[in-house]
Amino acid sequence: MAVPQPTRTEAEFRDWLINRLSLYLRRPEDEIDLRVPFAEYGLDSVAALSLFGDIEDEYGFYLEPTVVWDYPTIAGLARFVASQAAQRAATGTGGGE
Amino acid sequence: MLNDTSLYPSSGHSSAADASEADPPVGAAEAEVRARVDELESRLGDPRDPENPFGHAAVLAADERAELIAEAEVMLTEFGLNAEFVPRALGGRLDRVDTLGRVLRGVFRRDASLGLGYGATSLLASVSVWAGGTDEQKRRTAELLLGGGRLAVAFHELAHGNDLVRNEFSALPQDGGYLLNGRKEVINNVERAEALVLFARTNTAPGSRSHSVLLVDKAAVPADRIGYLPRFATAGMRGCLIGGVEFTDCPLPGDAVVGTEGGGVELALRSFQLTRSCVPSMVLGNADTALRTVVGFAVDRQLYGRSVREIPHARATLTGAFLDLLVGDCMALAATRAVHVLPEEAAVIASSTKYLVPKLLGEATYEMSVVLGANFYVRQGEYGAFQKHVRDLPVATLGHSGAAACQATVIPQLPRLARRSWFSGPQAPEALFGVHDDLPPLDTDRLALVSGGDSLAASLLAAAEAAETSTDAGEYTDALRTLVRGFTGELRALREECAALAPQDRTVLADPRVYGLADRYALLLAASACLGVWRGQRDEAATPFLSEPAWLVAALRRIAGRLGHALPPIPDGCSEAVWDELLARTFDDRSFDLYDTPLGGQG
Ligand SMILES: Cc1cc2nc3c(=O)[nH]c(=O)nc-3n(C[C@H](O)[C@H](O)[C@H](O)COP(=O)(O)OP(=O)(O)OC[C@H]3O[C@@H](n4cnc5c(N)ncnc54)[C@H](O)[C@@H]3O)c2cc1C
Repeated sequence: MAVPQPTRTEAEFRDWLINRLSLYLRRPEDEIDLRVPFAEYGLDSVAALSLFGDIEDEYGFYLEPTVVWDYPTIAGLARFVASQAAQRAATGTGGGE
Repeated sequence: MLNDTSLYPSSGHSSAADASEADPPVGAAEAEVRARVDELESRLGDPRDPENPFGHAAVLAADERAELIAEAEVMLTEFGLNAEFVPRALGGRLDRVDTLGRVLRGVFRRDASLGLGYGATSLLASVSVWAGGTDEQKRRTAELLLGGGRLAVAFHELAHGNDLVRNEFSALPQDGGYLLNGRKEVINNVERAEALVLFARTNTAPGSRSHSVLLVDKAAVPADRIGYLPRFATAGMRGCLIGGVEFTDCPLPGDAVVGTEGGGVELALRSFQLTRSCVPSMVLGNADTALRTVVGFAVDRQLYGRSVREIPHARATLTGAFLDLLVGDCMALAATRAVHVLPEEAAVIASSTKYLVPKLLGEATYEMSVVLGANFYVRQGEYGAFQKHVRDLPVATLGHSGAAACQATVIPQLPRLARRSWFSGPQAPEALFGVHDDLPPLDTDRLALVSGGDSLAASLLAAAEAAETSTDAGEYTDALRTLVRGFTGELRALREECAALAPQDRTVLADPRVYGLADRYALLLAASACLGVWRGQRDEAATPFLSEPAWLVAALRRIAGRLGHALPPIPDGCSEAVWDELLARTFDDRSFDLYDTPLGGQG
């Protein structure tokens, strides 16, 4: 289990997600638009689920797998993950499931 | 009828009534299941009797006409087959998914078109309702099925196949309800079913929250808004009534949605775990009859002054096929019990089972066909059942999520499971492998989209430790050790490969070799299931064949062979023990699976 890292800003989450997505899609980072839904890039629903595992590994907290379906753009997901991180930092519930 | 224990023939089975010290009693639940299985067998009757309206001759003739046997449908209604699909709490008999596969297997042994066309289709449809529906939807669905009605599952569109998220059939919200527009094609029973479970787009946005599952009571929609497409003629399952449906501006009330609006993909991925695990269990019945037919041929046919069964190659082929059926049943058992015992982990087990078991069975029947020779091509007579079962079987591979699509749901989960579970997680509970044991109730809410752990894979490590220290496999101990070491070595190699998996290899565009990885993984789960079953049966006096290590070592060698491992030498008599069992079960008409069921109503 990864050790929780200091809370990152929404912008940092965004950059990290852009990098992940560019790896999933094998596309240059500057071609990835923050507001285009993952599905429009051809990321299928099952593969999208594996992003949640990446978030868990990187940030050390558990989210429902379906967050990636519920926040289907980089902008939306970064905002959500940042708010979760801030909440957990505030209540001291960092890592684990 | 259900409690009449005298129904059981004396074939190693015991019942609560005639228990002796040597033959331990079976539990009440197991006795009840056996009674159901036996009743179905006696209704199906002797398959070889030319006068039997449900015998092989009648089944083949109906297949030639591309019809289901009408009296057989009446008979299954009298038996109450639909009750097998309806949860106990709603008045049916469904309380265990392993039992569901075991009972339906009997219908598939006789006629898979009937198994799918009369029965399993209603199950594939209704699982969405059991897993996601309101109490009212569940009540109505149970009432329909228990009354002998039908439910069709209309998910597929020819243009999009497995790619459900691209489905176009729309049910866009309007006036508090929905407006249906579009077509569903290649749908079993779509015209004669009283109700449909539809997968439809309820939002025009791309993504995984834009589809919903809808329950459509045909009597409640305007008749002029629904039309049917011509029947599709098929190469297998020829008796099934496979057609299409087209809706045009058809209004549907708001309470038709099953689960939540936009929750369709999630509901499908969760509820499919039930069907992906038990459909392979059902189609073991096809392979059973295929093998029985070929063993019968090998016994009857004389060549070079001896019967074909004395030709070592033919014998080895048939023994191997029997082992493949046992491997398939061990895996199907673990998968169908996992949804009860390990619901949080069932996702990868179910998809791996749906991928591997139909593949094993398909390959086994191909090998059997070599023994049958020219008779493989003969569509009637004593061996005609073989070609029918061979044509019917592939539908299990491609339908209801194809093999590659099942692998695609496993692949993205492997890196996480490899890291978190395989070498550090708990091993699977014994209950996962209990061939005749009760199960905790099914709680579909606990089925997860993504497996939270992988104790079935982790059990391999425990099995390896046990094999290193224990000698309870007797003269098979060395062979068992070598085989299990091979499997743990393979699991270790897989873990390395999973850790190195590029993100792109977790998408549909994954490198083909990644599918090879998912294949090896599925084989390891199968090996773990075989080991678990043997461990559970080791001390069972009532299952002498399963409690001995011969079948286990022979089955694990089949798996090791598929993995390309070096095969350890086996003690003399290993293959013979399996072959003798195959012949004995052929002559006594007992099933080629873990249950060793007496067939054809001999009771
Ligand atoms: C006899 C019969 C009865 C049927 N009854 C019904 C029914 O009652 N209701 C119903 O809804 N449907 C029914 N179907 C349709 C069935 O569900 C579909 O065949 C199934 O969903 C697969 O779709 P497809 O065959 O169009 O394959 P496609 O999805 O077009 O796949 C073609 C190939 O593409 C590849 N592929 C597809 N997806 C992936 C992936 N994710 N990853 C990697 N490779 C992939 C595979 O090689 C696959 O074989 C029936 C089919 C048959 C033959």
